[in-house]
Amino acid sequence: MSSEIAAGPVEQPQPAVERLHVADLHAPADAILSVRDLNVRFNTENGVVHAVRGVDFDLMPGKTLGIVGESGSGKSVTSLAIMGLLPTTAEVSGSVRLKGKELLGLSDKAMCEYRGNELAMVFQDPLSSLTPVYTVGNQIIEALTIHNPTMSKQAKEARAVQLLAMVGIPSPKERLRAFPHEFSGGMRQRVMIAIAIANNPRVLIADEPTTALDVTIQAQVLEVLHTAQEETGAAVVMITHDLGVVAGMADDIMVMYAGRPVETGAVDDIYYNPRMPYTMGLLGAVPRVDVAEKSSLVPIEGMPPNLIHTPTGCSFAPRCPLASDACLEGEPALAPVAGPAAHRAACIKSGSLGGDVDVHDVFAAPPVPVSRFDAIPREERSTVLQLKDVRKHFPLNKGALLKRRIGTVKAVDGLSFDIREGECFSIVGESGSGKTTTLLEIMEFHKDQDGEVVIGGISNKQAADGKTRSAMRRELQMVFQDPTGALDPRFTVYEVLAEPLENAGMNKADTKKRIMELMKLVGLQPDHVNRFPNQFSGGQRQRIGIARALAVNPKLVVLDEPVSALDVSVQAGVINLLDKLRAELGLSYLLVAHDLSVVRHISNRVAVMYLGKIVEIGEVDRVFDNPRHPYTRALLSAIPVPDPHLERTRERIILQGDLPSPLGTPKGCNFATRCPVFAALPAAKQEKCLTLEPPLEHVAPSPAAQTLAADPLPALDQRFACFFPDGELDEDMLVVHESADHHAP
Amino acid sequence: MLRYLAKRGITYVFMIFLTTSAGYFLAVSSLKPALLEQERIPRPTPEQVANSMRLKGLDPDLSPWERYVEWLTAILTRWDWGRSPNGAYINAEFGDRVWISTRLFLASIILTLVIGVALGVYSAARQYKFQDRVITSYSYLAYIVPAPIAYFLVQLGAININETVGERIFFVTGISTPGMEPGWAQFIDMLAHYAVPTVAITLVGWGSYQIAQRQYLLDNVNADFVRTARAKGLTRNQAISRHALRVSFIPVAQSIAFTIPAIFAGGFFAEKIFAWPGVGSWSIDAISLQDVNAATATLAYGSVIFALGAILADFATTVVDPRVRVQ
Repeated sequence: MSSEIAAGPVEQPQPAVERLHVADLHAPADAILSVRDLNVRFNTENGVVHAVRGVDFDLMPGKTLGIVGESGSGKSVTSLAIMGLLPTTAEVSGSVRLKGKELLGLSDKAMCEYRGNELAMVFQDPLSSLTPVYTVGNQIIEALTIHNPTMSKQAKEARAVQLLAMVGIPSPKERLRAFPHEFSGGMRQRVMIAIAIANNPRVLIADEPTTALDVTIQAQVLEVLHTAQEETGAAVVMITHDLGVVAGMADDIMVMYAGRPVETGAVDDIYYNPRMPYTMGLLGAVPRVDVAEKSSLVPIEGMPPNLIHTPTGCSFAPRCPLASDACLEGEPALAPVAGPAAHRAACIKSGSLGGDVDVHDVFAAPPVPVSRFDAIPREERSTVLQLKDVRKHFPLNKGALLKRRIGTVKAVDGLSFDIREGECFSIVGESGSGKTTTLLEIMEFHKDQDGEVVIGGISNKQAADGKTRSAMRRELQMVFQDPTGALDPRFTVYEVLAEPLENAGMNKADTKKRIMELMKLVGLQPDHVNRFPNQFSGGQRQRIGIARALAVNPKLVVLDEPVSALDVSVQAGVINLLDKLRAELGLSYLLVAHDLSVVRHISNRVAVMYLGKIVEIGEVDRVFDNPRHPYTRALLSAIPVPDPHLERTRERIILQGDLPSPLGTPKGCNFATRCPVFAALPAAKQEKCLTLEPPLEHVAPSPAAQTLAADPLPALDQRFACFFPDGELDEDMLVVHESADHHAP
Repeated sequence: MLRYLAKRGITYVFMIFLTTSAGYFLAVSSLKPALLEQERIPRPTPEQVANSMRLKGLDPDLSPWERYVEWLTAILTRWDWGRSPNGAYINAEFGDRVWISTRLFLASIILTLVIGVALGVYSAARQYKFQDRVITSYSYLAYIVPAPIAYFLVQLGAININETVGERIFFVTGISTPGMEPGWAQFIDMLAHYAVPTVAITLVGWGSYQIAQRQYLLDNVNADFVRTARAKGLTRNQAISRHALRVSFIPVAQSIAFTIPAIFAGGFFAEKIFAWPGVGSWSIDAISLQDVNAATATLAYGSVIFALGAILADFATTVVDPRVRVQ
């Protein structure tokens, strides 16, 4: 990244022309893509939204730039502006140069020469980004035809096959004729990458390419992007909200906030030596999957500013714990900080910040809450929820008039676990592994269910009348994933919270008192009770959802992906709140989440599910630090960690393919089709995996510990279902990115 | 695909049988042609009436079930749909009427579709511009104005033209001038009869297709896959015409197939106003003339056309949308 661009004094901003002139002189001649003073404005009914405000960067050939920011920070708009894909109503100014040629101001037709040729893009949602009515091959070939009109049909087809093979789609020749709906999300994103690299682009923009995907698939797709970059030598702009995703890939990072870059620099500088409080907050707000030690997450209070009003001071000042009066006088420019030349931050206090400043002090992270149950051994606490061999099978039928059964989807297949008082138990797994079905089975609580569910001593088998069910509902409440969808938009917060209380027969005065209590409990202002949900931000809405669940004083709260719809900075606040409530109220949680870092941060115990079965269960630190089941190992290794050194050097297991179809599972171990250990086993042992179902067994204490102890040690709280946990891993599924491969420290 | 269509066909045959049978029972128990006979002068004796009805297979003394069995046997064994109270054979009358209806509507259906879809695409590409506002406003107007009034207006217009020119160019009613020599003159005569109803039905009809096609296309103009197509290097218009258009045509194709039967079997306003004695007007007349067999036959015809439309809709969807293709 070039240094010295917008370093003019704050008081007298340079006119844009002069800025551009200066920028041009200083722009490195070998940059493949140079963006200067990019501004995007949208005219809306409420006024002009200034979505991107002065973005500058240079992209060197073959390098990767990560643009990090929360929703609304202007990162996607920046990328669309570069591609010339913004609606015509958007007002774009500044300069975007590709190999020295100015792209802004070109007509749609003139831009077409660059789009898909030298400049390519991969979008966020692979499910809707491919045209449903054309075959995959057709869509790849179209990209070739547009820019190579003279290419023969055979050559195009051969190239398409080659591209599909490059992005790792098995039997590419046959797959050319498949339609997008016949592909899974991960496969469609591979096709999108194939289309993007079809004409060997010089610049590849990836806008949140893995956000919609499962972690294991995310790991695969990131790997494909890596290969694609190696094959084409393209420079990559990687846009993401996830600091982990770019840690291992990017050379440079640009952090955006409220439409502006607030900190830019080499990846190591940003991660290890952040100089802008927002960057520090972002890094502190994400839980780490690889760290056992528990410290509270850093919540960034408040929400991003509305870009209709031009900020008069630092746009982050209202949320910044370090803000002083000086911060409100003029927006600070992106200025070089002491240290590496390319490192710049937009903060007047950047000089006093750095790697040695603890983010927890800056943001006043709350102390780690301690529950009164933490001191009591688990066995002595009472059980709040118990599942015994719960099953849910769906028949798979074929035929329109006369249905015949061609198979069974075992969504949940013999699940047993229990949750004790004051404990957070999490279920993790890919989509389709049966997590949500498990929750639904618990909420169903019907006596005809297959298996027994005991909630607070009430079993679904013994009583199913309305009275027992409502008693059960008082024991167990639920918080939903989408806080917006879960609240009735026509109910005020008061009505939302009063409903469960009235149901429980509470009188008016008590209801009112309880609602005020609840509002304070979840950190909302009690005088906001008469507002409607749409007057709150996403994080606040989720707090309302939590307050609603807590209204009737349940013992157990079921949390279905409670933070996945929230931005990282907001997510931290909600997680801290959940942690605090568990300790203060002695609650138990049943948490379903796909984000393993969140799970590690908040849970005591965890179960890993695969195709309806628990493959590993136990204390969270044991399972995460010493995973025994190959699937747990793969899942954990798939999660990117916001630590560039670690990301570059660590070995990761990349699972092949997607979750298999329920019809294609083997008789024995479900995981055998994708298992990295299975793939490396000799045939005789493979036979065992395929025919016998591995039972859930305790991890034996290590022989050394065993011999030291006088009495036989009690079994550890970790069980797994695998015959060969110590087997060699298949080399094809192991990937290490050497640091020399792509990075100079 | 063929197997799938065959399966659907069988289902529909069964449904047609059910509706027709139910319709027959309703007609036979509520329509009493014998009562009309008694209004004749000189008034026939009840015995004479019963006798004449019996001869036409409309015996009022039999129970509905007995008449149903008789009627059904005649259809299944001899494909004989019975006779009207005036003695006419349904089969003969039916053939003429279907041919007249088809001739009246076929051209206008095709024109309606082509013009409606084309204008929908044209106006969607120019959303909120002058052309779009004019076209879409017209479509809503055509929606609101009752069809008979629109037909009369077109007729008046045609008469106006005739008067202005001072010569009869268009016929506003009727199918053809009797006694024309076959050849060129007859062809011109046919066109002169055709023009007014075809124009009228088309003008009224295209509005709904225009609105639907415009709406569905606009839904897709900003779809993610159109953006992908543009990112490949297509211009906006190319991306829309190659990618959005086909996707947006899926729901339109389905609605087309379902509106065709409605026009064929239910166009009695047009048939009455332009004096083309087709199936639509026949079904109305059958009820006022207490004609059990004709009423049932038009009902059966309506069901068959509807089933054909439904199969056509399936077929059309399957052709344009690979997601519903049957393996």
